[in-house]
Amino acid sequence: MTLLLIALKFLTIVFGSIIAGFIGSLTGLGGGTVLVPVLTLFYGIPFIFAAGASLISTIATSAGSASAYTKKKIANIKIGIGLEIATTTGAIVGSLTLVFIDKHALIWSVYVIFGLVLLFSLIPTIKKIGKEVPPETKPDWSTKLFQLTGSYYDERLRKTIKYHGIRWWLGEIVMFFAGFVSGLLGIGSGALKVLGMDWAMNLPMKVTTTSSNFMIGITAATGSSIYWYEGYINLFIAAATAIGVLIGAFFGAKVLVRISNENIRWIFFAILSFLGFDMVFKGLHLINFLITFSLMIQFFISVIISIVLISLLYYNSKRKEWRKGNEKSR
Amino acid sequence: MKNHDDEIIISYFLKAGVMISVSFLIVGVIILFAKNGGDGFTLTQMSSYNYALAHGIDSKSVSLGKIVSGLSAIDGLYFITVGLWVLIFTPITVVFIGWLSFLEDKNYLYVGMASIVLFNLFFAMLVIPRFIV
Repeated sequence: MTLLLIALKFLTIVFGSIIAGFIGSLTGLGGGTVLVPVLTLFYGIPFIFAAGASLISTIATSAGSASAYTKKKIANIKIGIGLEIATTTGAIVGSLTLVFIDKHALIWSVYVIFGLVLLFSLIPTIKKIGKEVPPETKPDWSTKLFQLTGSYYDERLRKTIKYHGIRWWLGEIVMFFAGFVSGLLGIGSGALKVLGMDWAMNLPMKVTTTSSNFMIGITAATGSSIYWYEGYINLFIAAATAIGVLIGAFFGAKVLVRISNENIRWIFFAILSFLGFDMVFKGLHLINFLITFSLMIQFFISVIISIVLISLLYYNSKRKEWRKGNEKSR
Repeated sequence: MKNHDDEIIISYFLKAGVMISVSFLIVGVIILFAKNGGDGFTLTQMSSYNYALAHGIDSKSVSLGKIVSGLSAIDGLYFITVGLWVLIFTPITVVFIGWLSFLEDKNYLYVGMASIVLFNLFFAMLVIPRFIV
């Protein structure tokens, strides 16, 4: 009887991970960003076990979906490996920081940081909604030196798109923080990687999300080995999440190449804002600071805040589109 | 990367790594449930998260040196361990393939950059654990 209950427990984690993996793969986030909040908020799993299971599962998502993208030659492996210098260094510093925080009983702060990282990763997303191909820029010195050029075939636009990256150094700086966040929070931190390539290096969205997906695995492998020796990986949870996230990622990858970027961004904006608010509340609740009401109420407040926020922003972006349409017709 | 077949090879490596890993994980989970636990712990202990946290039932308690004996004793926990380590090594092989292909292209700047990435990976795996444990 108890064995049946444990099996059920296992399957519910697998189920939650499938959803996390699906969203993670669609957005290029890598699953962990959704998985850690789901495991801690809904399954009552301690943060370090959630982070451990999440980080190692992130490798599965990354490898699973990257195998599909690299074959289609959308991901740019060369640019990816170049940027991994910064992400792996960041991952080492980040996971050692988590070890320090854990040993000094400061875990509440990781919840707050997690929530804030989620919410802040939305800002660049909101700003750039609707842009498929980045604005034209002139190549700079780093474009030539680090060979930041490439091309891919866009199935939706039905043409080959040539592109080049700029500001390699800025990309590396953002990538260091991406790696740091990955090691600290047990996520792939795909949002920051996308930011590094999209905003800093001006690469097209498709290249950014697919390359980020492939880079996440390497970053996560660095952090995971440190997590392993530190005992952050509970094998029961990790086996469930790795299998689940992989199944989710498989379906996510099938869908990604077909849908437009605008849809991707709205989906991840909606879910992340809710999880972000809830994580901040949980962190503050742990030290009884400002948030003293029960988990259920925290949950509902987060839902309401995120619904209001998303509706406002959605309305705002649609209004801009509508105005643009008007100008064109004139 | 001039030689575009590398991307196909990388794609196969990633797929193979994930498949091997997941097979080990699934077999491990089945054994874990069939034997009601592994490595001296019961399933109930492992799946009670706070108990596991307090009693150190985690990756630290699994000794990597015992993998061979664990596998031959058909211990589910060691199958899961192998599955997870295959997962960790999967992306590393990709960097390695990249390194080889940059070398082939005589792109020494990128050979150097891939070397730094590999150094970081093995630094995290082999050097840091000696200091933090």
